[in-house]
Amino acid sequence: MRQLILSFILLQPLLFLLYMLFISGVEDPIKFIYTLTGATALTLLYITTTLSLLRRSINLLRYRRTVGLFSFFYALLHLLNFLILDMELDLVSALNETFDKPFIFFGMASFLILLFMAITSHRSLFPRYFKYHKMIYIVILLSTIHFVMAQKALSIPQWGYLGVMALISILKVLQRSGIVKL
Amino acid sequence: MHYRRKKSWEISESFVTDEVLFEGRRRFLKLGAAMTVSTSAVMELAASEKLPMPNLHYRKDTNPLGLVLNSYDQIISYNNFYEYTTSKKGVRQLARNFKTEPWRISVDGLVENPFEIDFDDLLNRFTLEERIYRFRCVEGWAMVVPWVGFELASLIRYAKPLSTAKYVRFETLYDPEQFPDQRRKFFSTIDYPYVEGLRMDEAMHPLTLMTVGLYGHTLPPQNGAPLRLIVPWKYGFKGIKSIRRITFTDHEPLNTWQKMASNEFGFYANVNPDVDHPRWSQKHERVLGKFIKQKTQMFNGYEKEVKHLYAGMDLRKHF
Repeated sequence: MRQLILSFILLQPLLFLLYMLFISGVEDPIKFIYTLTGATALTLLYITTTLSLLRRSINLLRYRRTVGLFSFFYALLHLLNFLILDMELDLVSALNETFDKPFIFFGMASFLILLFMAITSHRSLFPRYFKYHKMIYIVILLSTIHFVMAQKALSIPQWGYLGVMALISILKVLQRSGIVKL
Repeated sequence: MHYRRKKSWEISESFVTDEVLFEGRRRFLKLGAAMTVSTSAVMELAASEKLPMPNLHYRKDTNPLGLVLNSYDQIISYNNFYEYTTSKKGVRQLARNFKTEPWRISVDGLVENPFEIDFDDLLNRFTLEERIYRFRCVEGWAMVVPWVGFELASLIRYAKPLSTAKYVRFETLYDPEQFPDQRRKFFSTIDYPYVEGLRMDEAMHPLTLMTVGLYGHTLPPQNGAPLRLIVPWKYGFKGIKSIRRITFTDHEPLNTWQKMASNEFGFYANVNPDVDHPRWSQKHERVLGKFIKQKTQMFNGYEKEVKHLYAGMDLRKHF
């Protein structure tokens, strides 16, 4: 039941996206989908990290998989926007762009790791593969760089967002190295 | 003697309208009816499109290329104006109280006739015309806008540049009272005042427009009121907004975006599908309001008119 409520909450960005695209209308649909799905995916990634960061104070680990899978889901929408709407299914130029533009390469690499993690999060596979799930940190690093590189210039809210993300990351590193007990 | 007595209601022969004229009257009435219908249709369109009532006198563009215009609403609600915010949707609201009066423009530097002019006097000095142009942003979105303005060339001729003047430099208003991002000093998004420039032959080109309106109405603040530059074959950031100062120089002005990131934004900024921005492709563009992209055209579709300006130049090097 709680998982259902959580899923319902995590679906809100998608409902908002559909509302904006088909009811309210946006000027630049492709860019809007990029921004919304990308920001949601990245935020959810940081939330999964925060859940494990705070597990001594509030243990919410049983929700981590759901949040992580939703992050993958929004990353998938983000990728489909790139392949279908932006590249118009021209896979050759999509590949060219991927190897030509570093920020797209970082995004692709992030997605492939997320895909691997999503598949191996299944109950039957997780016991064998969970040790590889530390790759989340690579994903977080790459997709944050991907997000920064996609902007023409960073706005104040984006700096604030990055500040919060940096704080979570630093705490995580300190916790893993045993300096900080949370 | 027998004669016909005129009834009181009869009128004399001379009062009868000639048949040709009578037919003409029918035609005139039809025309009048059509007029009313068409004006009401125009009105209806204006109402549904939320078009402003035109307040400028100008020669209309017959749109020989048959470009499909973006709606007024799209053009005025999706703007890059970093003096306010980096949010394209947010500019309109933040800029709504922008003060464009009084507005003086100074023209100085290497000219015989440096002058300061009030915006209204400037409007009266030059003949306005509508120019329906493609607009292409460096970020990859595009639109078609019916601008109203006058050729920059006529202003330059009026200023009489000296032979040493090789470039024209433009500057946006610096007013931290009005522009929130200019108040952020060290934390501002870009350097202020915003600066742009053109080579003299680019500035003199008949396509280069000193723009004062769109859709027949004076520019809204978010689109660069009261006066902005439009160079249709270059990326949108060359079209500097809310101009306060025009200076003639002998050296290439360092424009704001080049100063911010010289590896990404150059001085020329010509629209070119074959020269990618280092971080994203420029081969296609997203027309506002459309899900499907279209191919970027060389010089934004004005290749025939401007190609000669760049003969022998390496456009990859001078991007």
